[in-house]
Amino acid sequence: MNRKLKRLSTLFALLMLALALAAPATAQTMGEMIPPIIVHSVTQAERPIEYETTRLVVENMRELGLEVEHRAIPWAQLIDEIWYSRVEGEGRAERPFQMTYWRMVGRPERSDPDEFTYNLFHSSVRDGGYNFIGYNNADYDALAEAQRVEVGDKETRLDIICEAQQMIRNDMVNAYFVHPLTPQVVNTDVFNADSVVTQAGIGVHNFWTWIGIEPTGEDKTLITSTTSFLNSFNPLEIAGDAPSRVTEMTWDRLMRINPIGVAEPWAAESVVWEDPLNVVVTLRAGMKWHDGEPVTSEDAAYTFEAALAGTTQVDEDGKEEFRPEAPDYHPFARNVANIEIIDDLSVRYTLKTPSAAFETSSLAKLNLIPKHVWEPIINDLLTRDDADADSIQEEIPIGSGPFKYVAYDVNEFVLLEAFDDHWSRPKIDAWLMNVLPNQEATLGQIQSGEMNFLWEWPGDPGVLQDIVADNEHLDLFSAISIGFQYFAFNVRYAPFDDVSFRQAIAHTIPQQFIIDNIYNGFAAPADSFVSAALEYWRQCEDLPTYNFSIDGARELLAGAGYTWDDDGRLRYPAN
Amino acid sequence: MSRGVVYYIAGRFLQSVMVLWIIVTLLFLLFRLAPSNPLASYIDTTFTKQQEAALLARFGLDKPLHEQYIIYLVNLARFDLGDTFSYAGKSVLDILRADLPNTIYLTLSSLLVAYGVGVLGGILMAALRGSLFERVGTTFTLMTRAAPTFWVGMLLLTFFAFQWKLLPSSGIAPAMVRYRWETEWDKLMSPVFWRHMILPTFTLVVYLHGLPLLLMRSNMLEVLDQDYVTMSRLAGYREWRVMIQTAARNAMLPVLTALTLGIGYSIGGNVVIENVFSWPGLGRTLVRAVQQADYPLAQGAFFLIALIIVFMNFIADILYSLLDPRVGASAQAQVS
Amino acid sequence: MQQEAMVREAATGNPEARFRQGSALRQLWETNLEVFQRDRMALFGLIVFAAFAIIAVFAPILAPNDPLTPLKNNEGDWIKDAMPYWLAEPGEDVAEGYTNDFVLGTTNIGRDIFSQLIHGSRAALLVGFSAAAAVAVIGTVIGLLAGYYGGWIDTVLMRAADVAFGIPFIPFIIVIAAFFDPSIWNVVIAMAILLWRDTGRVIRSQVLVIKEQAFVSAARVSGASDLRIIFVYIAPSILPLSFLYGSFAIAWAILTEASVSFLGFSDPETISWGFMLQDAFLSLALTRGAFYWIIPPGLCIMLTVMAGFFIGRGYEEVLFPRLRRM
Repeated sequence: MNRKLKRLSTLFALLMLALALAAPATAQTMGEMIPPIIVHSVTQAERPIEYETTRLVVENMRELGLEVEHRAIPWAQLIDEIWYSRVEGEGRAERPFQMTYWRMVGRPERSDPDEFTYNLFHSSVRDGGYNFIGYNNADYDALAEAQRVEVGDKETRLDIICEAQQMIRNDMVNAYFVHPLTPQVVNTDVFNADSVVTQAGIGVHNFWTWIGIEPTGEDKTLITSTTSFLNSFNPLEIAGDAPSRVTEMTWDRLMRINPIGVAEPWAAESVVWEDPLNVVVTLRAGMKWHDGEPVTSEDAAYTFEAALAGTTQVDEDGKEEFRPEAPDYHPFARNVANIEIIDDLSVRYTLKTPSAAFETSSLAKLNLIPKHVWEPIINDLLTRDDADADSIQEEIPIGSGPFKYVAYDVNEFVLLEAFDDHWSRPKIDAWLMNVLPNQEATLGQIQSGEMNFLWEWPGDPGVLQDIVADNEHLDLFSAISIGFQYFAFNVRYAPFDDVSFRQAIAHTIPQQFIIDNIYNGFAAPADSFVSAALEYWRQCEDLPTYNFSIDGARELLAGAGYTWDDDGRLRYPAN
Repeated sequence: MSRGVVYYIAGRFLQSVMVLWIIVTLLFLLFRLAPSNPLASYIDTTFTKQQEAALLARFGLDKPLHEQYIIYLVNLARFDLGDTFSYAGKSVLDILRADLPNTIYLTLSSLLVAYGVGVLGGILMAALRGSLFERVGTTFTLMTRAAPTFWVGMLLLTFFAFQWKLLPSSGIAPAMVRYRWETEWDKLMSPVFWRHMILPTFTLVVYLHGLPLLLMRSNMLEVLDQDYVTMSRLAGYREWRVMIQTAARNAMLPVLTALTLGIGYSIGGNVVIENVFSWPGLGRTLVRAVQQADYPLAQGAFFLIALIIVFMNFIADILYSLLDPRVGASAQAQVS
Repeated sequence: MQQEAMVREAATGNPEARFRQGSALRQLWETNLEVFQRDRMALFGLIVFAAFAIIAVFAPILAPNDPLTPLKNNEGDWIKDAMPYWLAEPGEDVAEGYTNDFVLGTTNIGRDIFSQLIHGSRAALLVGFSAAAAVAVIGTVIGLLAGYYGGWIDTVLMRAADVAFGIPFIPFIIVIAAFFDPSIWNVVIAMAILLWRDTGRVIRSQVLVIKEQAFVSAARVSGASDLRIIFVYIAPSILPLSFLYGSFAIAWAILTEASVSFLGFSDPETISWGFMLQDAFLSLALTRGAFYWIIPPGLCIMLTVMAGFFIGRGYEEVLFPRLRRM
């Protein structure tokens, strides 16, 4: 032990000597060499667009004199190396991630900027939440909190949201480059094209289309497909894009996000704010569950109670931990302090703090669930340690939405039919979604009529465009998504802890080239986490721009004190 | 059946069980090498550490390795393959139970067609030995064995499904048809199902017919050389009768053994084709499970395929020993 | 392919291979010579391998473009989906999409298909030959040890072979490929772990025969050590058998690598023919009718696999005259 220590110290002394000798030559002018950087993305097989974009940017980064490795791995593994490896010593990856391709998808409830504004950057959700990049800025936190409570005054809230966008753009913690345009195809032999509703920031695959689309003839079944997974049919789980399509139709919601992105009463006849903390919701009269039971205020209350349900456990360190039974929905109900049933159809929700987003992200988010079905299940779960609501699969799912369950085969298909007792019965009779990961097959089916509604297309949009041009019975729709594609930097560690370095990397992203060549034009340039689709929230002063320019990036780096050695390798600023 | 044969079969059976046990153990160890968090596909990104711990406990992943191993063995013995990570509320067995019949239908239909074609082709080749037809035919068969099956499948898809729109491109039937099937029997009675089967079966036949054909051909040539064949020729039987009745019958036995073995190996080898045609079988589930990091499911599918292979190897062994008196005799000599 | 050995046993009742007398190297040389002299198809296989080996070695020189970097036109945009010029209708303007520069056209993001094809031969041959070498070496050594020593060594090794026969091959490779970082070596490793079984079994049964022969007894009497007897006296006689299995293993490895790449478990930075086909499949080449993209990689795979088959059969016919076509 001692000898080892001695040897180490000798070594150390020698090292210092060597450094001291070398110092006159380099120390004045150059800092340390920037170690190799790893940039993550999913594999080419999984998402070619993301892979190719990353490849392109990695090559440009190399031109800055950086040694960069492009690490393409399957999504399941990527989650592990990014989400669970944000801090040194955590997760199963060797070291925390540095930079990764990432995407946020558009969902109706994201029509309010609150979710992205708060969850992506607030320092409180840095350790386990969506702020996986580790952004930690007290000024920003203040803005994110302020926009949340600014209930009455929309214009003041706009100013705050604008300021938040400016700050994020300046700090360049996320390098946004596109909002994808989702290409979608409808068979106009079967459906009246005018009856298809495009929801701002989402596209044609939305609730309003499902209930409003008009069949032109006898064929009254909408047949669509998904390339992803259809692995749950559960009102208390957010399992992904395709299952969300199914739950939003089978279970009604008190409010729904309308086509222009605003929450409006739906299963509720009225939503009345008594003051910033108290809201009274009155249900429509005469609604029924799919099993024939009436929908009452008990159910509306229980919907929130189920989302709030959970047990408090004490871990080894004596720290208390609340474990919700519906972990996916708990965050959206958390702000509710009290629920009071007024009469058969009315409920009063009392909030802990005023919230501008309560309608959008709670009343329009939670699926109304029947108390008579779920109370026994949740009560049972509360007594158990080993399961939560995510692991439940009802044999016959019961909701009160305009469509009801007919058949479901996990990861194969879901078949729903119109619920005749619904006050807004859909114009189609049945709705079918197949799981069809094979894009060639998808194209074949939309042309042959085996499928008549294509909403999800991860492939090359240009191919779809050609197909539509060749087939008169097909119409192409496209909408800018609320979602966005970007490179996320782990700002906790060097070199990405330096704003100049991040800004320089932003300059290496050839935005227009990516749009033209990789997206075939099916994308809009992005510069913020608030999409151009949300027009109201984009009425801001122009945000800073980062034009594609390797020279610009080099200048920026040079200005910040970075240098290049004789081999052209980039070095940190001295000291 | 003599006692010796019974002992031989019992011995082989025990051996197969041992082999299976070793495979299962290797499988257990192999899946501990998985790079991702074993729950990566299951854990939602909003989970806290405590929830994660609870889940690990639920799947028994918090216990020491040897305990996990014992639990795993006990569960396997009861044919309990655990819960899937990515399919809510379903056990691994639920998923595999739905997949297995589809895989078996595809395997059996393609093997039967392939062996039918192969045996007849082999007889033909043997009959026409030395001719140009035979040389071209044999070379062609070798070519089909060298062509990657997925590529053949792609080409067939391009023409039959996409260009000419004659046959469906994927799956076993449209969902509107499928959901009305209540039993496997309904499925088998459905013409739609068989239509969906044509392309993948044909693709596999292109590959599979080569082995029986070449085997049949060389066996035939060998048998034709034997004295008893010459005898029947001299006895004045017609050539085709000699070929079919005398030679082919004797040349068939090894082909039958190959067929038995083929069932097991095809089930393992159909993985690629099932993916090209989105055929909902074990192979497609295995690939999906691996991609989604649903390890219990991947492990279960792997186990089931291995089980079938070991079982078919066992059957082939028995069949071989019954058909070939030399092995039977030596087997009896060994145990008595 | 994977059942070849068992089937051969089943078909022929484990025939005794024909072995030559004389010095070890001479035996080997004569057998090899005989294979390629008498069997024109085996010779063809050898030529195919030689040709692809040359292409693989000189790939960077032969390939007109980098296989992974998309090609750009004068405006700096990618030249996507360019058809080969010789597919353009006669008299048609060689307009956008048709180009003289790229013999086989470009992929949907503008990579040169011809250059990919040339670089793909590297992965194919690398995987093919190293897997074959691994399979042949491991199988031969195991077969020699099991056959020569017999007893518990034989039992253990042959039960190990039983286990290897019980593990489904493609699923095993998929799991290995998914668990380790994507690399073409995963296929080689998985093949080395499993496929020695065929070679091992057959060689073992031949060793059983050879070790009873006079020259082995003579060596034993003269005091040669076991290892010397195994590797100096017996091994050369069964080496042609290793070559036989090695040739089949080349074919099988190339085919397997292609399948695994096609399923998406390969390293996207290493161009292989299977990867090209996967890329084409995912990029909707079938719908586009881009046959210039789908057909060439498949043909290359077929050609190299056939070469392996032909050589293997050449050996088979020399070593097992009973199987020889009449």
